[in-house]
This record gives sequence, structure tokens and C-alpha cells, in this order.
Amino acid sequence: MNGKKLAYYPGCPSAGTAVDQDMSTRAVFEKLGIELAEVEDWNCCGAAEAENPILVYALNARNLAIAEKEGLDIVTPCSICYYNLERSNIALKNDESLRAKMRDIDGSLDYKGGIKARHVLDVFVNEIGMEELKRKIEKKVNVKVAPYYGCYLGRPPVTAFDDPDDPILMDQLIELIGGECVDFSYMKTKCCGGPLMMTRADIAFEMAKNVLEAAKRAGADCIVLACPLCGMMLDAKQPDIEKALNIKIGMPVIYITQLLGLALGIDSKKLGLDKAAVDTKEIVGKVV
Amino acid sequence: MPIKTWELDPNFRNEIMNEPGGEHLAACFQCSTCTLGCPITEIVSSYNPRKIIQMSLLGMREEVLSNPDLWVCLICQTCTARCPQDVVVSDVLSAIRRIAEKEEEAGKLKIESPRPLFDKAFLHQLEKYGRLYDIGLAKEYYPKKEGSFIKGMRAMMKDYKDFGMRMFKKRKMGPKAMFPEKIKRTDEVKKIFEKIGD
Ligand code: SF4
Ligand code: SF4
Repeated sequence: MNGKKLAYYPGCPSAGTAVDQDMSTRAVFEKLGIELAEVEDWNCCGAAEAENPILVYALNARNLAIAEKEGLDIVTPCSICYYNLERSNIALKNDESLRAKMRDIDGSLDYKGGIKARHVLDVFVNEIGMEELKRKIEKKVNVKVAPYYGCYLGRPPVTAFDDPDDPILMDQLIELIGGECVDFSYMKTKCCGGPLMMTRADIAFEMAKNVLEAAKRAGADCIVLACPLCGMMLDAKQPDIEKALNIKIGMPVIYITQLLGLALGIDSKKLGLDKAAVDTKEIVGKVV
Repeated sequence: MPIKTWELDPNFRNEIMNEPGGEHLAACFQCSTCTLGCPITEIVSSYNPRKIIQMSLLGMREEVLSNPDLWVCLICQTCTARCPQDVVVSDVLSAIRRIAEKEEEAGKLKIESPRPLFDKAFLHQLEKYGRLYDIGLAKEYYPKKEGSFIKGMRAMMKDYKDFGMRMFKKRKMGPKAMFPEKIKRTDEVKKIFEKIGD
């Protein structure tokens, strides 16, 4: 990390369904005294829909090259953007012929392999560090949390920065701010079903329901997560899932950046907590 | 049913390995770790990535490409993370899906799943605007999936009426979301699609 500044890649959901994740990310970094410079004119990373790896590398080479010109590492709050940015980064760094191929497509893809892409969770725990965070914590957030990691923080091995079977970075943050993690180990890294939402909603709903019900059974006050697709499935679609499967869940879902923001003493509105589909007032009420 | 050896296509494995992402197919030694950890198997009982790989290695081209299970993979990477042979299982499956899409474009195969339509509609937004435009995506995808504009709009309303109202009320989607967020240098992104395709 270059001093106190990072290039910021918000990702497409930041303009809509995950605007709360974007707001809380910006607010938390501001409070921590780290400047985020939005990647100028960034394009979509290809999400899960660009299946050809060469296409993914090209889309991300453009963003990496823009940040590289500024000499800044990229940070993103989205797990899928992180996966695409960093796997492209690694592939391009290690392969001059691939870099040449990118340059042939367009000069704007001329990335030299000089920076890193990181997920916000990785930056919080491994870069800023627990000691520094501890010093800045102003409030205790007294909640029981089901920490939900989803797919791309511990998998696949090339880009993973946490354990694939039993990731712990969010657990550590939750405990640091005075929360308690419920026993959720068997569900932590199971997919939310999001990638099939538009083509097999039946499967996607079933998978999301399993995560939500597991959190409820474990006695959690809320689920904490780090991916906007997980956020859409588990929060924004929760009422649709309840209706389609004729069940009642009512499980608040918040982003790790929102939870950390509360502990840093940031106003809940500034963190976008009023934007969740399932009401988060009870969670905000547990900040002391 | 026994395999008809004379109908096998010995070149199929090379075809997959020549696709980006398909390279490591031949390293598979059939341990089934991928299938045992796959979350889809809990919902779709026929789903079996190990078997898809085995059939591919054997050259059962037609059976593999027409298997509807190809289209329910979540790309969750559980298989990839656990494979003892470093087969990037999820990328191999995606390489196979791309071969199936090419077969369909050539008129040799009919894919029942709407997934290729969705992926294409998604990528078209990037090609046009550089970023995802949700409404543009839905307006392209639903009519194609349902077979007509009217049916598509009806299906879209059914899926999104409540959701849209909810997002609007929580001010996650305002009037701004009606329009695409277009990047400045769309020409650079267009070139990517021109030279690589989708
Ligand atoms: S886990 Fe790997 S080696 Fe084992 S069956 Fe699956 S692809 Fe083959
Ligand atoms: S990536 Fe696909 S095949 Fe692999 S575990 Fe996930 S759903 Fe199963």
C-alpha cells in the first residue's frame, strides 16, 4: 500500500442494489484516514457472466492500467470484482505474451503488472491491522453475528486471502468490535445461489433460504457479509424468497463495512443502514 | 447403457483443452472430490462434475454438450479449491459451455437453458456502456427468454414488481437508475469485444 491512498473500484452494484456497501466503504476509509481515489472511468469487471478468461483479463487490464498510472493499488468491496481483478492481475503479471496480446487489442490495456488488487476485508485486517483498528474503535456493537463469507474470499486458491474451509478474518473483526460470532462454520463459505438468480431462480432461492435459515437457527441477530451479490440475494430478495417459499425469516443482513463503521462511531445513515430491505434498527440499537 | 466406442470423438478432449480455462482437463484422476463438495448436488441430484469430466475425456462429445446440468454450475469454485490435481474444474465446465454455445450458433445443438441468453444480454450492456445497465439487461433478456416482447415484459413485471418498489422505497434505485451509467471511453471497451468476442 502506497502511503495513505488507494485506488477505489466500486463495481457496478454500487450504483444501485449495493449503494449502501459503497457508502459505508467510503465512510470507513475516510474515518480511518485513508484516501480512496476512484479509478477514473472504470469499466465493469465482467462479473460471473464473462466466462472466457481472456475476455475477463482484457476487461480488467484496462482498470488495472488506469490505477497503475497513478501508482496505486486497487481496493474493492465486491468479492466478485476482487476475484476478477486479482486473477487478471496475476495472469498478466506472470505472462509477457498475454500482456502483449492485451496491448494488441488496445493501447488502453497496456498493464505492466506493477500493482495489486485487494478486497476491503484483506486491507482492514492485513494492511491496516487489528492493533490500529482497535485504537480507532469508539463504540461496542453488541450483536450476535452469523459471519457469511460466500465464495471468493477463500477460493479459488490463486486469489484467496483467507482459509478456504474455515475463514476467520470477518470473525476477528466482529470480535474486535465487541460482537459475538454464532456457530456458522458449515455455512460460512457456501454459495448464496446468486449466479443462478436470473436463469434458475428456484435453485437460487433454495440456496439463499438455506443460508438465512441456518443463521436464524444459530441464534444470530444478523448476517454480516462482504459481497453485493450475496447482499442482493439475502437482503434485497429476502421478502421475495419468503413469499415464494411461503416461509417467514426476517433476518437483517449488513455489510462488514457497515458493521465496522458503526464501531468507528459513524452515523448509521451515512453507512446506508436505512436502505436495507430487512429492517436494521435493532442492530443499530445495539451500538453502545 | 454401454458406451458405443465407435461414436466417441477422441479429439473432444483437445477441443476443450484448447479453450482458455480448459487446459488442465487431462490431469483429472477421477477421485470425485469435486462432486462430493459441490453444493448443487444437494439440489439437482443428477449433477456430477466428475462424470462430465470423465465423459469429456472419453470423447462423449454429444452427450456432454447436450447435458442440461452444464448450465446450473454456480462458479462457486468449491471444486477448484479442493481438486487434488489442480484441475480448475469450474473453468473446465465454462470452457465446455462455450463449445456448446458455438455448436448452437452453428445450428447443431439446441440449448434449453436461458443462461447463454442472459450472459450475452449482460455482456451487451458492457459493450455498449462499459458498465452494467440493469434495465437494459432485463429489456434484452426477458423477451428473448420468453420468446416474445409481450410475454417477456409480463415475466419481467412478475419477477420485478415487488423488488423494484422495494428498491425504490429504500432509495436504492431512483430516477437515475432508469438510465445507463455510461463510461467516457466506451470505444476502448468496444475494441475488447470486437477482438475477443463474447
Ligand atoms: S476433484 Fe479433480 S481429480 Fe478429482 S474428479 Fe474432480 S477434477 Fe478430477
Ligand atoms: S463451481 Fe460449479 S461444479 Fe464447482 S462446486 Fe461450484 S457449483 Fe459445483
